[in-house]
Amino acid sequence: MRDIVTFFVNDLNDRVSAIGAAVDSDDRARLRTLAHQLKGAAGGYGFPTIGVAAATLERELLSDEASMAALHDKVEDLLQLCRAAMGSKYDSKKSR
Amino acid sequence: MAESIADQTNQLQEERRPRLLAIDDSDLIHKLLRIRLQHERLELHAALTAKEGLRLAKELQPEVILLDIELGDSDGFQVLTELKADPDTRSISVIFISAFSEPVDRVRGLDLGAVDFITKPFEVNELTARVRSTLRLQAAMRMLSVKAQIDGLTGLWNRKYFDTRLDAEFAEARRHNKSLSLIMTDIDKFKSLNDGYGHPFGDVVLEEFSHILSCGRGSDVACRYGGEEFAIILPSTSIESAHDVAERLRERLAACKWPRHDELKVTASFGVADLSCVGASAQPKALVEAADKAMYAAKHGGRNRVEIGECVEPRLRKSA
Repeated sequence: MRDIVTFFVNDLNDRVSAIGAAVDSDDRARLRTLAHQLKGAAGGYGFPTIGVAAATLERELLSDEASMAALHDKVEDLLQLCRAAMGSKYDSKKSR
Repeated sequence: MAESIADQTNQLQEERRPRLLAIDDSDLIHKLLRIRLQHERLELHAALTAKEGLRLAKELQPEVILLDIELGDSDGFQVLTELKADPDTRSISVIFISAFSEPVDRVRGLDLGAVDFITKPFEVNELTARVRSTLRLQAAMRMLSVKAQIDGLTGLWNRKYFDTRLDAEFAEARRHNKSLSLIMTDIDKFKSLNDGYGHPFGDVVLEEFSHILSCGRGSDVACRYGGEEFAIILPSTSIESAHDVAERLRERLAACKWPRHDELKVTASFGVADLSCVGASAQPKALVEAADKAMYAAKHGGRNRVEIGECVEPRLRKSA
């Protein structure tokens, strides 16, 4: 099980950068794909809250009226959870 | 050994792991499945798009498909509809796997022909248990559908299967301009065997003859046509070779020793026909009629012999 979490957290590292890049370049389609993939998968890796945050972001992206400010909030919520997950991995490494 | 039911089911169950195809646009899901299902007796395949998934489904003929509803280029309902519309992929068991689904989605998926519905995020143990349960059900269904095509007494393919298979081989031979032969055979004076030695002995004769017929070449398809009449479909076989096959079967039956009836000799008459015995626009049943006619000629000619059907079209010569 630890291998799976490690894999997921490593993937998150790349994904967080990709999400940042998509926001910077205002690439909504790419952002939606990244959120969508996280939505379905995160729970399976043991991070259901990330899944919920990703779902919220995806829903927001589906409505055209979503302001960029509102989007930024959702992205930030998601990224915060991702960083927490990444941090927990490094913490557990330290404590070993 | 001619193709038998036991061979077919054993091949399905032993030689190859069941294939599972995941159609999901998240590579994270693919990785998760790959890690969590690595110890299952499964061969895993993955597709990220509907288009790729449909292609792989046709090519790999997986036992089970895990299908996501939200796909980038299409949706899972559309993919399922296409899978069910294609005879090649119709019998694949499809399990929907989707995030935050509504009951209306689950009903729609099941009504379209999915066997199960799993909500993401899924508990992997539950997922594997559901896949196993689907495979068990599928194996039982396949066994039943094979059994429905088997003759109970002799273990040969039954008449229903014969009709379907002959149609398929006939179309195949016409399409690719290949040869196709058919042997019809009938046990001589079977009624007097039954009357003189009893019906249980008649059954022994039927079983023994069926055994002889099923021990032919691997590609030959031996069927019980009805009563004491049998048919063998010989794909890609010239009428000369089919005649040789029939001759060997005739000799083997005539040479059989019967328990408690040392003096008894049981024989059969054989009729052989190929596509040259029927017109260019003929239906498969014309081939049966031609072989049957040759078989009756063998009966009238004194029984225990092989006759070849009359030719209505020039025969393709076997290239030397």
